[in-house]
Amino acid sequence: MLKKIALTFMGMALAVSLTACGGSNQASNPQSDQGSNEVKPAAQTAGVSKELVVMDWGGAISEAHKKAIFEPFEKANHVKITLVSPTDYGKFKAMVQSGNVGVDVVNVDSDFVIRGAAQNLLEKLDYSVINKDGILKDLVNDYGIGAELFSTAIAYNTDKFPAGSHPKNWTEFWDVKKFPGPRSLWKYPTGTLEAALLADGVKPEELYPLDVDRAFASLDKIKKDVKVWWNAGAQPPQLLANGEVVLAEAWNGRISTAKKEGAPEEVEFNQALIMGDSWVIPKGTPNKDLAMKFIAFAVAPEQQAAFSSNIDYAPVNQKALDLLPDKVKENLGQSADKAKNQIVVNIKWWVENFDTINERFEQWLLK
Amino acid sequence: MIDTQQQSAGRPVSWVSLNKLTKIPGLQWLLLIIPSAYIVFLMFFSMIDLFKLSIFDTNGFTLKYLAHLFAEPVYLQVLWLTLKIAFLVTLTTLLIAYPVAYLMVKIESKAWKNFIFTAVLIPFWISLLVRTFAWTVLLQEQGIINKTLMTVGLIHVPIPLLYNTAGVIIGMTHVLLPYMVLSLYSVMEGIDQRLVQAAEGMGARPRKAFMQIFLPLSLPGMLSGSLLVFILGLGYFITPAILGGSKNMMISMLIQNNVSTTLNWHLASALALVLFVITLLLLFLSYFIIRNHSVLKEMS
Repeated sequence: MLKKIALTFMGMALAVSLTACGGSNQASNPQSDQGSNEVKPAAQTAGVSKELVVMDWGGAISEAHKKAIFEPFEKANHVKITLVSPTDYGKFKAMVQSGNVGVDVVNVDSDFVIRGAAQNLLEKLDYSVINKDGILKDLVNDYGIGAELFSTAIAYNTDKFPAGSHPKNWTEFWDVKKFPGPRSLWKYPTGTLEAALLADGVKPEELYPLDVDRAFASLDKIKKDVKVWWNAGAQPPQLLANGEVVLAEAWNGRISTAKKEGAPEEVEFNQALIMGDSWVIPKGTPNKDLAMKFIAFAVAPEQQAAFSSNIDYAPVNQKALDLLPDKVKENLGQSADKAKNQIVVNIKWWVENFDTINERFEQWLLK
Repeated sequence: MIDTQQQSAGRPVSWVSLNKLTKIPGLQWLLLIIPSAYIVFLMFFSMIDLFKLSIFDTNGFTLKYLAHLFAEPVYLQVLWLTLKIAFLVTLTTLLIAYPVAYLMVKIESKAWKNFIFTAVLIPFWISLLVRTFAWTVLLQEQGIINKTLMTVGLIHVPIPLLYNTAGVIIGMTHVLLPYMVLSLYSVMEGIDQRLVQAAEGMGARPRKAFMQIFLPLSLPGMLSGSLLVFILGLGYFITPAILGGSKNMMISMLIQNNVSTTLNWHLASALALVLFVITLLLLFLSYFIIRNHSVLKEMS
């Protein structure tokens, strides 16, 4: 009996160590959607000659990529795409440094394009293959090109703030007297410091270079009302849905997905902070040429439009907007009136300053 | 461990032969050296490369990264918080696990014993992430725990159980409890119940018999369980990341952040090295504190 128990226990401990690995892998990426780890589009039965391995963030974004980009690309080029999720920079760096590159194209945060290039991890893109016309200029780089845009915006509970009575800018978000209730902010300095400065009255066009001292002083004012500092994108929609907080800084696509599922929440696009994901090619991949072709295909207006029709994240290719109906553009925050009041985050500034500010941010949180 | 004790109690013959085996000069040492060499090999070869990163960068040897850790107050503060949380979790798991393990040893009915075993082990089957998110549902202000307490009338305002140290300790205790229960059980099962009976037969009240006989004999289990939970607790990051507040930063969260987000592997490695050295120091410290304990001496 005891022998049996000991054996079962060992078996279970093994199972636990495995599940724990899986768990940590997911949680290690704040941007990964919880859920599907790996989506493998069915390969075409005939005529498949090549294989391309793509790494992205997983979950809903992968599903949208699959429909809008991977499947049409497979058909057009007789390629089988294998998807690996979520994006993991640690794995990326280890892969390139060991010279054992098993991934051909990776969807990364746009700041990683600059950081990765500095660490010599990326292949230079071939702009004779990739057409960059119409792509947002901030997201065109020698080593990477924009994949999709997301807005870090004000999100609110519609039961608490019905029909237009919600905070419409970061100053109002900071105003706990007029808009009482607990808040949630992103446990990450990029975006959060911009919001703090906008709340303090800095004009959007004068944001950069960020006045860091002023940003922290502004954060001091709201600290006691921030109930949760979130670090996974799935948290704000959940916190808003169960009433744990009434206002949150959140990614627009997450909120609109929750809204479609019936959660009482909505996004305010005014003063939303636009950030982008990018496609990059790890240095030393054997399928470089095919990877270039893939990126060229992924940023083309038709695929960009198809992607944004599948999920509420905006295209990086401005030409794709012409292909989208007004209703979709409204949801993306890309209708003419909504687009002009959003602010593009200056990635270059953040790349230079991130490490010191991140340390200060962590220190500030512990105070 | 359970297996050996079973043999020693039930099959004295094999115990004796094993004893004889260890009497052969040379072999005794080999039995010690082979497993230790194996462990050292596994530990060092996987870690040497990692720790090299903390003192070597492209410019050669440097103490820049380690110095940085001690110069910036944030790192020492996080280290202190990590030790504090691991200690509190060890204490709560010990307090909860002891009665459970004791019940498992005492209970006569096999069916009930199996039932308790299953209840303790089921959490092992479920993903850590799922369990942690389940706690956010239970502990929130409108959650079942606060609702029940309010309905019963014990509290009038919801108690904050989430996004603070209380939440982290509840979540981590739940995750680490099985390790403690099983460590305690394996030792308690080997305690000869007749000793307690003898004490009672000589006039000790059950309480006194427990305190003077059973409790000291179960000390090795408490110790091994506590060390296991404490060390596992030091390395946790998913549970505190989700259930904790801004003030519940753990060192592993900083390491992970430096490995995967900022890609500062040198700093991550320096942090890992500091955590590793502190863990070793604590192990030695606990060894020194307990080395003169009579029961443990007997064990060795």
